[in-house]
Amino acid sequence: MKIILVCSAGMSTSMLVQKMRKAAESKGVAATIDATSEADLGNHLDSTNVILIGPQVRYLASKIKTKAEPHGIQVDIINPMYYGTMNGEKVLEQAQGLLEG
Amino acid sequence: MSKVMQVMEEKFMPIAGRIGSQRHLVAIRDGFIMIMPLIIVGSLAVLINNFPSEAFQNFMIGLFGEQWKSVGGNIWNGSFAILGLLVAASISYKLASSYEVDGLSAALISVASLIILTPVTKDWGISYEWTGAQGLFVAVIMALVVTELFRVLIKSKLTINMPEGVPEGVVKSFKALLPAMIILILVGLLQALLTVLGNTSLHQIVFESIQKPLQSLSNSLPTAIIIAFLNHLLWFFGLHGTNIIEPFMESMYLPLIEKNQSLFAAGTSAFDVPYIVTKPFFDSYVYIGGSGATLSLILAIFIVVKSAHYRSIAKLSSPAGLFNINEPVLFGLPIVLNPVMFIPFILVPIVLTITSYFAISLGFVPKTVAMIPWSTPPFISGYLVSGGSWLGVVLQIINFTIATLIYLPFIKAADFVQMKNLNKVG
Repeated sequence: MKIILVCSAGMSTSMLVQKMRKAAESKGVAATIDATSEADLGNHLDSTNVILIGPQVRYLASKIKTKAEPHGIQVDIINPMYYGTMNGEKVLEQAQGLLEG
Repeated sequence: MSKVMQVMEEKFMPIAGRIGSQRHLVAIRDGFIMIMPLIIVGSLAVLINNFPSEAFQNFMIGLFGEQWKSVGGNIWNGSFAILGLLVAASISYKLASSYEVDGLSAALISVASLIILTPVTKDWGISYEWTGAQGLFVAVIMALVVTELFRVLIKSKLTINMPEGVPEGVVKSFKALLPAMIILILVGLLQALLTVLGNTSLHQIVFESIQKPLQSLSNSLPTAIIIAFLNHLLWFFGLHGTNIIEPFMESMYLPLIEKNQSLFAAGTSAFDVPYIVTKPFFDSYVYIGGSGATLSLILAIFIVVKSAHYRSIAKLSSPAGLFNINEPVLFGLPIVLNPVMFIPFILVPIVLTITSYFAISLGFVPKTVAMIPWSTPPFISGYLVSGGSWLGVVLQIINFTIATLIYLPFIKAADFVQMKNLNKVG
């Protein structure tokens, strides 16, 4: 499973990425998780399964969806509270839920 | 209060969202982001050349001779001094890519068009006067117009198509041929008309009629307050304010810091350069620890707050906060949509804008003369943006203290409510 997190510069989401990687490791989930800026997202569309958008750039959701959905990528906005508390486990669950649902 | 917030969320925020995702504005913003590394290198070159330490200057002269500054000057010529050309290429590239047409072709045609419009010096040189920030508006407008034309033309039937089996590179270059020709002829005609009719250039016209008036407006205290207010209002509703207003910020304020910097490079003291309000002004003196000067809020939490939740958020947020990244505080505390935090979160930046403005305008603190990454930690950033002055750090410390004092009663109140709720549940 490949998950990409998007925020404006890819900086604050990269903090969450580390937490999610830890969560994935302890749960034994095989996942590649990365953060990127919105501008660079185009280079990451291949082989990605889930794109999660930082709540502060949630206005980009519809634009990103039209780009990503033809690739069969699930797109969602990260729950603001999980984002703020940098809860890697919950956000990982959110991503898993998207793939199952 | 909650009714006002609901109306804002329903009416105002979608508009902000549309601005934040509008194709041309996004291209402008991303274009500026792309050239930022060059701009920052150019800026550091000037800063090092003019570092206000006699020991350092003597050391460099002793080591490399009197000419050591020419390296920094050369770097400046290749970065800040051709800002307009660089950004025309990057905006054009980004805009074309967003339409999924060939970005590099569009960028090349944009640069060519901009050069056509740029005045030529007597000895047949491109005029540096207009390739930099002074020609920024024309560069941005030109990039947008040329790229739109390019897109329309390349998607029309006016292209030369190659038979199958011809290599893709050849196909691409021929495909761009007719659009390039049409665009360059149009721009060339425009330039000829301007020369014949008014003996002027588009640069001159746009600079005098739009850019110059906007620049003096940008440098005023009311404008600075409005920017601080808008940014934080957007953030309060959980939208990336800095990101949304970025295209306007860069177009309006890059010319100001460029002017300050080029004068500083020429030997003017940082006190005597013209512009007070610049992007580094906001980044270093107002957004201490990120929008809302939340590094002060973190300190305030450590001082007076008991609630475990607030303390853990403060702890979690401190490392990133030192680099002015503060989403954890904004969303985790939360500040976003939290009525108790609304007043200090909006008030602090406005107060800091005012104190910084007067500290500089009254001549206590030098003006900003360097463009550094916005993620440069506070207190280091104050020293650098002021051209290597401790007074910049002093202003940051004063602002940091003021912000902490404003946050204290509010976070205490929020803590009180939080603890009471906990006790009730308990």
